[in-house]
Amino acid sequence: MIGASKIKQYSNVLEKPLSKGKQEVSLSAFAFLFSELVQYNQTQVDNIAELERRLEDAGYAVGARCLELLCHREKGNRRETRLLGILSFVHSTVWKVLFGKVADSLEKGTEHEDEYMISEKELLVNRFISIPKDMGTFNCGAFVAGIVRGVLDSAGFPAVVTAHFVPMEGQQRPRTTILIKFAEEVLRREARLG
Amino acid sequence: MIVCVAVVGHQNNPLYIQSFTEADDALKLHHIVHCSLDVVDERVNNPKKSGPTLNETFLGLLYPTENYKVYGYLTNTKVKFILVTTDLDVRDVDVRNFFRRFHAAYVDAVSNPFHVPGKKITSRTFAERVSNIVKSFGLSSTG
Repeated sequence: MIGASKIKQYSNVLEKPLSKGKQEVSLSAFAFLFSELVQYNQTQVDNIAELERRLEDAGYAVGARCLELLCHREKGNRRETRLLGILSFVHSTVWKVLFGKVADSLEKGTEHEDEYMISEKELLVNRFISIPKDMGTFNCGAFVAGIVRGVLDSAGFPAVVTAHFVPMEGQQRPRTTILIKFAEEVLRREARLG
Repeated sequence: MIVCVAVVGHQNNPLYIQSFTEADDALKLHHIVHCSLDVVDERVNNPKKSGPTLNETFLGLLYPTENYKVYGYLTNTKVKFILVTTDLDVRDVDVRNFFRRFHAAYVDAVSNPFHVPGKKITSRTFAERVSNIVKSFGLSSTG
């Protein structure tokens, strides 16, 4: 290699340890990769629900690994057992590592006990995407919903997570909300823990 | 002397078992690891309600058998690491150190996009790192 010799040369880039490193990836590289992911999935499916499901599954794999990595790196290995604990972990730590900032807001749903919402003015993954009119309510934020579902599921809080557009008055682009609906057993366990 | 390390998934399915002595029966070690899983479950489901022990990952000495000591460690995703050793005078801090490095190796192995969570860990790099950690554990505790 040209230049000063490094301390340790890894023969294979896959064998480098997952150190903290430069925590930056170029946005355009990610945007291209994500658009290719969506396009590839679009050719494989017949309808929109299937496309959303595939993006969610892709996100699920990311979320499961993210949880392992973050717990080891950032949180000093404490295990989250409470609902609010894991939600604030997702809302701040996970968002900060993935998107460079904490999520805009975390709210509890008013109609149902088991619903929580994480809102974002504009999801990073949706920044360069515009949905054609004939795709209706499809939201590429399904990928992020999959990531959240992966994190919650691996931590022992099974939930159904979906992404929705919420139109706001006075703004052109609608806000994105990730809706988290926890399973029955989570609420029962939470009630038991007091 | 570390005799055996094991990684067990959250449904108590084995993900990685490796024994480091030729002398002892591998089956007996597997059996010891299996029995210690019950102790882990008991600790997790009925915690002593004192604050700091509720969320702790390092479970400590699970149970001593005739000439083995078994230590346990629980990660955030309910994946358990079991360590079987024949040393009689291991220090707590050495075992914690061991598990910290083992956890780092495990996280690296799981971050592999070709690894299916729930299946056995087949990475050779992981196996090499684990044997390195095991070798250095022996040196530091006797040194």
